[in-house]
Amino acid sequence: MLEARDIRVRYGPFEALRGVDLTARAGEVTAIVGPNGSGKSTLLGAITASLPHDGTVRLNGREVEGQKPWALAAQRAVLPQSSRLAFPFKVLEVVRLGLQSGTAGDRPEVPMQALARVGLAQYADRYFQDLSGGEAQRVMLARVLAQVWAPVEDGQPRWLLLDEPVASLDIAHQLQVMEIAREFARAGGGVVAVMHDLNLTALFADCVAVLSEGRLLAFGAPAEVMTDETLSLAYGCALRVSAPPPEGVPFILPHAALA
Amino acid sequence: MALIADSAAPPRDRLGRARALHGVLAGVLALCALASLQVGATDVTLTAMLGKLIGGEALSQMERVVLFDIRLPRLAMGVLVGAALAVSGAAMQGLFRNPLADPGIVGVGAGAGLGAILAIVLGALLPVWIINLVGNQLTPFAAFLGGWGSTILLYRVSTRHGRTSVATMLLAGIALGALAGALSGILVYIADDRQLRDLTFWGLGSLTGASWAKVFAAGPLIVLSIGAALVLGRGLNGLALGEATAAHIGIDVQRMKNVAILSVAGATGAAVAVSGGIGFVGIVVPHLLRLASGPDHRTLLLNSALLGASLLILADVIARVVIAPAELPIGIVTAVLGAPVFLWILLKRRGLVDL
Ligand SMILES: Nc1ncnc2c1ncn2[C@@H]1O[C@H](COP(=O)(O)OP(=O)(O)OP(=O)(O)O)[C@@H](O)[C@H]1O
Ligand SMILES: [Mg+2]
Repeated sequence: MLEARDIRVRYGPFEALRGVDLTARAGEVTAIVGPNGSGKSTLLGAITASLPHDGTVRLNGREVEGQKPWALAAQRAVLPQSSRLAFPFKVLEVVRLGLQSGTAGDRPEVPMQALARVGLAQYADRYFQDLSGGEAQRVMLARVLAQVWAPVEDGQPRWLLLDEPVASLDIAHQLQVMEIAREFARAGGGVVAVMHDLNLTALFADCVAVLSEGRLLAFGAPAEVMTDETLSLAYGCALRVSAPPPEGVPFILPHAALA
Repeated sequence: MALIADSAAPPRDRLGRARALHGVLAGVLALCALASLQVGATDVTLTAMLGKLIGGEALSQMERVVLFDIRLPRLAMGVLVGAALAVSGAAMQGLFRNPLADPGIVGVGAGAGLGAILAIVLGALLPVWIINLVGNQLTPFAAFLGGWGSTILLYRVSTRHGRTSVATMLLAGIALGALAGALSGILVYIADDRQLRDLTFWGLGSLTGASWAKVFAAGPLIVLSIGAALVLGRGLNGLALGEATAAHIGIDVQRMKNVAILSVAGATGAAVAVSGGIGFVGIVVPHLLRLASGPDHRTLLLNSALLGASLLILADVIARVVIAPAELPIGIVTAVLGAPVFLWILLKRRGLVDL
């Protein structure tokens, strides 16, 4: 269980989060959606204790604040919205960085398995900086997976905290990454993912939190939360759920690929 | 959905190569050390002395002085200074996540330089009891204090609520370097001719005048600082992903940064104090090693120490023999060797420096 209570974050005079509650259960994929600047990354930053904040965050029943970095790293891995890498590391070496903490540290085969999981095993010997944007993002996901390779450790669930994991991926790899997240959750781990793609959210999330201007607008199962009113209010444009487009305009939904 | 099948074998391991390099570089260092004991301004050679010893003959007074009081302390100092410069370069580059960072840019070098220049130009104005106390160690001691003081000042400026901003520190280092440079310039202006010659010689860097006293003065701090830096490997690797991600993979980032800053200040301050400004070792050595065996700091730091020490004593041998019986300042040799190599690397492998 991951519980965030009354999270408030200020950047100088600007209040980015004004008292947000979030509960994510192990075994589920919890999505955080909302417009640009609504505070999604900030909320993830507070949950991962990388931003100063008010309010409490409990991970598996223990308060996050005050825990040692290596103790937290053994329980959860974090995929940032964007990552830059200093120095010419190769792909496999980047994934190995994820091992430096987690309990997979003594299992040298994990990084190759993690790379294979994101479909990039044949890229292991390439330089990370030569990868395309989407490939780099998947390598970072492999690094995160390697850190918490077993979804359950010592009877405790482990967590994947992902900031826009599918942002620069093509539709097939979006599905692949979301399947990885779902599989991790079904195996007993917990997943919290910031999402912009509402269709993928509807398909893969068990629970959705809608943020707007630093507040929690709605929280619940996709079918409850993803209504015309809530989404239109959150995003500030007239959205219609499950409304087919006008005749003759093609539309491509990921749902079809899963049927 | 079917997952893409992957069955690629793991690639060649650069970490293994980097570990093998430990042994190779230790061998190179031993060879350079022998060369440094073999040649010098006098005709005394190590091989001749070893021949005498094996033949049961005693060494002459002159041979003993050359070996034990001149060449050995000079060798020890070269090893210490070379390792200190290269390791602090590698650690600083890891800390700033920039392969072109060097202790020079965070003001440690400039601060130490200001201390030395102060000592050379204004040292005579000090109370007599201080001059008697430190004797001929005044310049190195002042250089060390300057380096140390500027590091503490920088650290204060760039650390808020226990967090060090690397960007602030970099900018403050540039400002501090400019200030120290300007103050040094004023001092040079009021210096007399003899002091100017001393300043020029110190500024170019040299191992001349190495003595056991200097080795024992700077050695402990350098050894301690290098030892501390050598355990930073994992932390600096994580930092390559950025501070937030380093923390997420379990690194105590703030503590790691503290250790890195203190060890860099200690090693650079002590090295600059006894040898003046020896450039290029701190940038070229880690860069060459990254090209050879990758950027993994777990092996890079130790390899830098070994290669830095070898390179410096080799440069010192060259400095001693090219215009014998006179000597070139070693800083000239490292710059003449280092700068073209560095430019060549940049031209050949431009992509690898890209950030
Ligand atoms: N370091 C910072 N200093 C000042 N303001 C910030 C800082 N980081 C974020 N903000 C502001 O806080 C608000 C929330 O930012 P956040 O990054 O959480 O948005 P987000 O929901 O993740 O948006 P996006 O969908 O674009 O990723 C934004 O208005 C942003 O401008
Ligand atoms: Mg964001």
